[in-house]
Amino acid sequence: MRNNRKLVVLLLAMTMIICIVGGFNALAAGKVTIKFFSNLPDRTAGMGKLEQFLIDNYMKENADINIKVEALQDEPYKQKFRVYTAGNQLPDIFAVWGQPAFFNPIMSSGYAAELDPDDYKGYDFFPGSLNGFSYNGKLYGLARNTDFMVLYYNQKLFADNGVKVPETYDELITAAKAFRAKGIAPVAHNGRDSWPTNILYQDLVIKESGDQELIYKAIQQDIKFAGNEELLAAAEDLKELVDIEFFQDSFIAADYGAARNLFGQEQAAMYYMGAWESGLGSDENFSESFRNNVSAVAFPGMKGEGKGKSTDMMAWNGGGYAVSSSSAVKEEAIKLLNYIMKPENWARYAWQMGVAIPAQKYDQYMTGKESKLQIRLSEILNNATSISGTPWNDAATPGFKTDSQTIIQEFAAGMKTPQEFLEAADQAAQKAQQ
Amino acid sequence: MGQLKYGTDHDFLKVKTRKLTPFRVIIFFLLIIIAVFQIFPLIWLVDFSLAKDGDLFGPRILIWPDKPQFENYKIAMIDGKIPHYLLNSIIVNVISVSLTVLFSVTMAYAFTRMQWKFKNICFTLILLGMMIPIHATLLPNFTSFRFLGISNSYLGLIIPYIAFTLPLGTFIMTGFIKSIPRSIEESILIDGGGIFHIIFYVIFPLTKPAVITVIIMTFFTTWNDFIMAATYLTSDKFRTLPFAVYNFAGQYASRYAVQFAVMTLVALPSLILYIILNEHITKGITVGAIKG
Repeated sequence: MRNNRKLVVLLLAMTMIICIVGGFNALAAGKVTIKFFSNLPDRTAGMGKLEQFLIDNYMKENADINIKVEALQDEPYKQKFRVYTAGNQLPDIFAVWGQPAFFNPIMSSGYAAELDPDDYKGYDFFPGSLNGFSYNGKLYGLARNTDFMVLYYNQKLFADNGVKVPETYDELITAAKAFRAKGIAPVAHNGRDSWPTNILYQDLVIKESGDQELIYKAIQQDIKFAGNEELLAAAEDLKELVDIEFFQDSFIAADYGAARNLFGQEQAAMYYMGAWESGLGSDENFSESFRNNVSAVAFPGMKGEGKGKSTDMMAWNGGGYAVSSSSAVKEEAIKLLNYIMKPENWARYAWQMGVAIPAQKYDQYMTGKESKLQIRLSEILNNATSISGTPWNDAATPGFKTDSQTIIQEFAAGMKTPQEFLEAADQAAQKAQQ
Repeated sequence: MGQLKYGTDHDFLKVKTRKLTPFRVIIFFLLIIIAVFQIFPLIWLVDFSLAKDGDLFGPRILIWPDKPQFENYKIAMIDGKIPHYLLNSIIVNVISVSLTVLFSVTMAYAFTRMQWKFKNICFTLILLGMMIPIHATLLPNFTSFRFLGISNSYLGLIIPYIAFTLPLGTFIMTGFIKSIPRSIEESILIDGGGIFHIIFYVIFPLTKPAVITVIIMTFFTTWNDFIMAATYLTSDKFRTLPFAVYNFAGQYASRYAVQFAVMTLVALPSLILYIILNEHITKGITVGAIKG
């Protein structure tokens, strides 16, 4: 009997000891501690590796600074972010998406610290790249990369099947039909994620109208989705693409990895995706034949009725960083942010490591060792005559994001006609306006 | 000679096994199909963990890599910090599971055998806990834990884990304890034993199948939990195994093959525990059946 009592007491004592040990950790060391909240959990590859590399360098150079990184992937990140904001306990520096659906509520409620634009005069940010990080004329965050959509394609599949690389929209349709006839999936697409389809629709709107502002006007409800000819024409284009089996079979169920691998395994001729996939040409996971043959073109413009050109690009600045306004070490956090985003740090390494296309000027960091694909992407971006800004699904409220992604998926799955899709978009936009 | 031997062996087998009627053949066939479907996800998991990222999601269901990528496991162990997370998982799980079992047995005993004021109200309140979704508690718990200074410690996981598994544990145990005849406890009291004697020498052994059910249930809930751990912990120091998968998640594409290797390693302890305890459950139930 006594033994059993001891056991109970022991268990309770153990619990208390663990509690105390846990509590003491917070008191360790007299350094300045900066809490860094990142959405890049993989610290050994890609942008996460670069982020960690710069953080480590900063700690080496500043012995009195200790940086504690907490990294979670997108969805858990957003969930925890909500918890942090609700308790007004945001970490000192954190990753943000410079898009109204995510960043506007944070800027307008004063969670993000204001930054001094004069600090960034020598940082060579591309014009307009900080728009999504500004609110009421004040700057609250910095962009880390430039995202733009291109059509990756496999040169070998095009050559072997005698198909011309599309320069116009009509040629794109012809190419898709030719690949279908040969039993090859023309375009790998991750329909399950729905945002690529949203972006494709906006790209089609740009190519139909030549007007980058049109879709945003419709979201503001200055014009109606349902009443506009060009918005309708783009919806009909998208329907046509689905009807001619432009995408691989059951693309609606394919997620990011599935679509990417389909293209990488040379089973799909093209892949509509962002420039962040610039590493495709050097990814050891794919065959050498693929790596040598992957290239990219801008999504072709319309001929005849369409007014947009292939240089009217779907491009925006998504990811970036901001500093918490309630941080106890705000000055130190801003210094760290400024260090990371210095052109010779972020822009240089992002380009040279091939992990992203920076949002800052990076020509001076060209080494000549870049992959062909990287150079090609760089050319496409340099040729752009107009850029869109935030994808339309991210351009309003969080609720609009959900609604617009649901309706585009229903539309792509054939559950809605173009007209019904546009009417549903109007409803979603009205809801977002209220 | 040899023929004769075969013959006798055959006869011997015939006596032992039942006749292979068409009906039994169909049953066996169906069972084999079900078994294959049951085991397939595990085979698939191990198979993909030995492939290269680029080979996944291809036209074939299973992949035969030219060279099995054991490298994936090495990366999983080192970059995924599996040993570190495993230790944390074990500490958190052992404490949560043992305390849940201890509390649910003692509480169930108090609810079924003892007479006290507000007994029924307390019991209902405990059971109401089953209806509270985890997500609704994340924010208030986060704020309170932060206030108490335990948001970054093992305790910040152990407390909510026990809180969420205790109601169901207590519910299962009360049902079981009710079925135990009071006369056994009375005989202990006559022999001069106390309440601890009753609980540890009578209730625990007799409710073994129920205790094992509670252990398995609690273990799987706490072993697989990610959302609570992701919310209450900020430091890498206390992170548990489910985080290892996310250490290979990129912003867009992830290192899928390594993630499969991580998942294989994470699933292994649960699998072993299930195999061990599964036997105990069957044993416990049959023992009870003979006694009854």
